[in-house]
Amino acid sequence: MSEERAKSILTGLTVTFMVLFSLIPFIYMVLVSFNVNPDFLDRGWLFTFAHYKDVLTEESLHFIDYLKNSIVVSAVSAVFTVFIASLCAYALTRLEMKGKAFILFLVLAVSMFPQVSMIAYLFKIMVSLGLINTYPALIMPYIAWTLPLSLWILVSYFAQIPKELDKAAIVDGCNEFQTLFKVVFPVALPGVFSTTLLAFIFAFNEFIFALILTTDYHSRTIPVGIAMFEGLHGQVPWGQIMAASAITMLPILAMTLIFQKHIIGGLTKGAVKG
Amino acid sequence: MIKAGKERTPYLFISPLILFVVLLILVPIVGSIITGFYRDVTFLRLKFIFLDNYAQLMKDEGFWRSMKFTLLFIAVAVPLEMIIGTAFAIVLDMKLPVRGFLRTCVLIPWVIPSAISAKIWQLIYDYSYGFANFLITAFHLGRPVNWIGTDIGAFFAIVIADVWKTASFVALLVLAGLQAVPSDLRLQAKVDRANFVQTFFYITLPLLKPVLLVTLLFRTIDSLRIFDVIYVLTGGGPGGATTSVSLYAYKYFLGGDFGYGSAVSVLLFVVAFVMSYFYVKMSRFQGESGL
Repeated sequence: MSEERAKSILTGLTVTFMVLFSLIPFIYMVLVSFNVNPDFLDRGWLFTFAHYKDVLTEESLHFIDYLKNSIVVSAVSAVFTVFIASLCAYALTRLEMKGKAFILFLVLAVSMFPQVSMIAYLFKIMVSLGLINTYPALIMPYIAWTLPLSLWILVSYFAQIPKELDKAAIVDGCNEFQTLFKVVFPVALPGVFSTTLLAFIFAFNEFIFALILTTDYHSRTIPVGIAMFEGLHGQVPWGQIMAASAITMLPILAMTLIFQKHIIGGLTKGAVKG
Repeated sequence: MIKAGKERTPYLFISPLILFVVLLILVPIVGSIITGFYRDVTFLRLKFIFLDNYAQLMKDEGFWRSMKFTLLFIAVAVPLEMIIGTAFAIVLDMKLPVRGFLRTCVLIPWVIPSAISAKIWQLIYDYSYGFANFLITAFHLGRPVNWIGTDIGAFFAIVIADVWKTASFVALLVLAGLQAVPSDLRLQAKVDRANFVQTFFYITLPLLKPVLLVTLLFRTIDSLRIFDVIYVLTGGGPGGATTSVSLYAYKYFLGGDFGYGSAVSVLLFVVAFVMSYFYVKMSRFQGESGL
């Protein structure tokens, strides 16, 4: 049975590598965030809660502002995206029209474009609208940017719902809009939910639009905030940066742990086809 | 299919999406293409110069250096992501008792914002007290590496940080592909006394080919536009050695030269566009069932 053994050794090695590789940077972040010195590997462990206290209470660091901006911008974008993508997915899966495949693949192609090819002109548009450093300046591009993925996921969820359901609704006198929100939506709820989650994560992680379209804590999001984080005393405040990162990750991590199945389901639905 | 009450209804339903995509993605792209034909520098008068920016680009060593870096990065990082991601997927597909835990582990690098994970990696790579050099010294693997300060160190620092984030994404896609492989085929292979290496190479891999190709193409296009990891980790340094094309264009925008920066970004867009064409074509033949 040496083959079985080779297989289990190989599996064991891969699993070990996978867990260590994925978790070590994350664990390292948590350790540094609770330490007086970032060089605790040489100088030894000195527990402190001060970094957390600093980022949560020191107003000049604006950590709370960045986090609030990120959550508001991502949540609003995700809700709008899913609403707009649902309308489109409904039309593509249930209504008669020409050019369905064209729309799906246009949207897919668009999602592959480099952001850097848009930012200069997007910046100019936002300047001329007077929107630089406001929430709408981020929310609008984020909606556009998360639409392709959301559309692809929702189309594959909606396509699985039996069309007899809509027929019954139409017979009962519902129009298309009511059919979508009273019949299709409730049945597709798990799909709608995972799409919202993914759109939120995408918006929450976005960097380059936020870098260009925001100028300070009034609308700057947390990824840009942490990238530009400057401490109170000059040198790189690793402890505070890691504490801020850990707090930021907490809600995302909780979501991942609780909704792991939804996230993977949505991601594979949209992406394998897309 | 339901007969639409009014002819206009479907178009009413798709118009918000089209509006957003056109106004916030296509218009900015076209705007950048037009800007690329202008001398558009802050405090200077706008002037139409047609292809002058592009002529200058062809002679611009910094641009070619960023192009070379980006292609080299793709050539090294993408195959690594694919191999590691596929290995992860195979393990995730097995019926191991800790499957849920393993899937969560793999998801973590993917859900952390890249800017934040790049900050963590920056500390890991720190010359004097980072975890990477601590490991090297502790296991007597050699002398501490100057990760961020040398061309080659910075290159691999970026590759590792990027592979960390994206291997998990590859793993999830390949996992979905694996679960579509009929299990009776694998069972048959077992009956035919094929060992697991043979089963993988003769049965699983050929069936996975379409998924692997789409994933490969997606990762290549996505790596082409790499920005945030580099921006945070090395800032394009040392001395421009790790400046990607995206970062190169951004540096011109930052300096107020929108015309030249746009020309750089348009070239990047053209490359990405050609690749997306093939990507869309491949996905189309894969995903007909969607409608």
